[in-house]
Amino acid sequence: MTPVTLALVVLLAPLVSAALIALFLRRRGGLASAVSLAAALAVAVAGLALALGGDAYRFTASAVWLQLGTFSLSLGIKFDDLAALMLSVVGIVGVCVHVFSLGYMREDAAKARYFGGLSIFMFSMLGIVFADNLFMMFIFWELVGFSSWLLINHWHERAAPAAASKKAFIANRVGDFGFLLGIVMCYWANGTVNLDELAAGNNVYSTLIPLLLFCGAVGKSAQLPLQVWLPDAMEGPTPVSALIHAATMVAAGIYMLCRINVLMVPDALTVIMWTGVATALYAALCAIVQSDIKKVLAYSTLSQLGYMVAAFGLGSLEVAHGDHSHLVATGVGAAMFHLTTHAFFKALMFLGSGSVIHGCHHEQDIFKMGGLAKKMPVTFVTFTLGVAAIIGFPLLAGFFSKDAILYLAFAKNQVVFALLALTAVLTALYMVRLWKLTFLGTPRSDAAAHAHEGGLSLTAPLIVLAVLTVLGGYTGLYPNVFSGVFALIPIAHGADHTIVLLTSVGVMTLGAVVALALYAPAASDSLRQKSPGLFGALTALQFSFDHGYDYYVAKVQQRFALFLNFLEQIFLAGLIVRGLAGIVGLVGLGTRALHVGRVNVYVYWFLAGVVILWIYASEIF
Amino acid sequence: MMTASLNEYVIISALLFMIGFFGVLLRRNTLVVFMSLELMLIASTLALVAFSRFNSTMDGNIFVFFILTVAAAEVAVGLAIIVALYRRRRTVQLDELNSLKH
Repeated sequence: MTPVTLALVVLLAPLVSAALIALFLRRRGGLASAVSLAAALAVAVAGLALALGGDAYRFTASAVWLQLGTFSLSLGIKFDDLAALMLSVVGIVGVCVHVFSLGYMREDAAKARYFGGLSIFMFSMLGIVFADNLFMMFIFWELVGFSSWLLINHWHERAAPAAASKKAFIANRVGDFGFLLGIVMCYWANGTVNLDELAAGNNVYSTLIPLLLFCGAVGKSAQLPLQVWLPDAMEGPTPVSALIHAATMVAAGIYMLCRINVLMVPDALTVIMWTGVATALYAALCAIVQSDIKKVLAYSTLSQLGYMVAAFGLGSLEVAHGDHSHLVATGVGAAMFHLTTHAFFKALMFLGSGSVIHGCHHEQDIFKMGGLAKKMPVTFVTFTLGVAAIIGFPLLAGFFSKDAILYLAFAKNQVVFALLALTAVLTALYMVRLWKLTFLGTPRSDAAAHAHEGGLSLTAPLIVLAVLTVLGGYTGLYPNVFSGVFALIPIAHGADHTIVLLTSVGVMTLGAVVALALYAPAASDSLRQKSPGLFGALTALQFSFDHGYDYYVAKVQQRFALFLNFLEQIFLAGLIVRGLAGIVGLVGLGTRALHVGRVNVYVYWFLAGVVILWIYASEIF
Repeated sequence: MMTASLNEYVIISALLFMIGFFGVLLRRNTLVVFMSLELMLIASTLALVAFSRFNSTMDGNIFVFFILTVAAAEVAVGLAIIVALYRRRRTVQLDELNSLKH
């Protein structure tokens, strides 16, 4: 098969699966899951064949979709090393999540809808990966938003998932609006939104365009201040959280930034960097006080996404006059490297938490768990590897990618370096806390006491992802086909290397030791008992954005809407609409009086008409 | 022998027209109203004939021919309507022909 055919198979297989499920298999959950899994396998196999094919399989192709005068809108595929890497991540994690879902959603009543949703999500996500222009990316950007809404809302008969899905959708709309404005402005300024044509240079460089496009990433990758939807999105089924809200969709924002790096200017990158740093630190602080296993992971995802965004922003802080593309790409390398390793270990931990939740009969509170290490050995070992990877334990995936980012920060901006190191301390703290409370000690509830390991479909994906988590950090092990991205990863040398390495290991040890010492495997939060003030402050910090938005919507926006409604009632509805109707009504009232029902009287009107005509004709007036 | 001048013809014509006009305004019987209408037509033809005679042209006479022809057709239709009305409603009083209003 030619590369284009292969790419179309990758893109369309999930769409065909989603269509089949939606049209014919809505009541046939078993068949639907098989179709969906087959599509995911096809994506993984064909996608890896494409990605590993090397230069022969790198191409761009496009076809005109809409032609409006001189404006043409094309759908196309741009498949370079960046897309190949993203495609591999989506393919591998996608298959793992599909297999895991077979076990996790076995008893679900709406299994067909769930797997149909997974398929439509895979299709949308692959569309973003392949998109060769920003309009096409926007179309699929909206489609992943829709799939995310559908899957968060899977248990829609409960109030919380329904509300969470709405919140996710609305928060994303806010970001997407900026994204759309950015695309329109990019087209207006440069005359094209095709990525290749933009990459050719000759662009109009303004600070506003990249920042507007960044709004899309703020929404989709849940950066400050639109991060509020991601923790709530954990109401969805856990495999969905692993696929969409940890490994792929939320990473689409980072991917999009890497796609448009040719439009970046230093000021915009500074904003992006600080947004990422603020998100990383904020989310890490919030994660410390969570008691829901998935919420901890959600805030951890936020924090790591902040890391990636910061890495992207760091990549070109010194570009003002110099070598533009090279320095930007440094950020791309570090961000994409961390995106890849994070996708593996975060998907692993989410699926691990799914396994725990499944084993504990849908208990999600870590203070009611404990002692699961012996009862769920596979989950315990793989989850431990995931935790070790995210906190940067040496020689695991997260260690390398996080070091790349820390080195970049160290070389470019010491303040950012300090803040990211602090975030790393907190990361180690809350992850070890989660790990200790969940797996060590003794069971603190009946559910935990009777926990059991799930079937092969639950453990096999964990093992696959655990292997990738261990090996994912060694760029030498990757086939030499992602060099377009991995060649850009910054590598420290000499004294810098020593400092970054020592810092990295030091902050990890500090966080882990504090967590091990501080948290007793008890039914309540040790931090809350030892320092209620700090605990309260962190909880308040967590809710500060939600409260802020509540206040804004209820007090500001709603009142403004009432005011506008008042104006509308008076002027538009009252004067213009009803005013016109009133005039017509008055005329009708007057003329109705002429209709008296006696023929003789009409003769008078006739006479009056003649007189008026005569007056008019003789030009008296 | 005393010959009538144009003024007298026009005055008679105007008087006939006024009679017809007030007949239409004031009478309640459809038939009488109809006759009054005809009277107004005749009044105008009288004036036209007089003008034609005193101006020694044929213009007015030609008008009169047309008016008489149209009036004959109109009378035929109008009387037929009145007869049909009487058959249906058993009255030709205008005051009672108000079913569009009441």
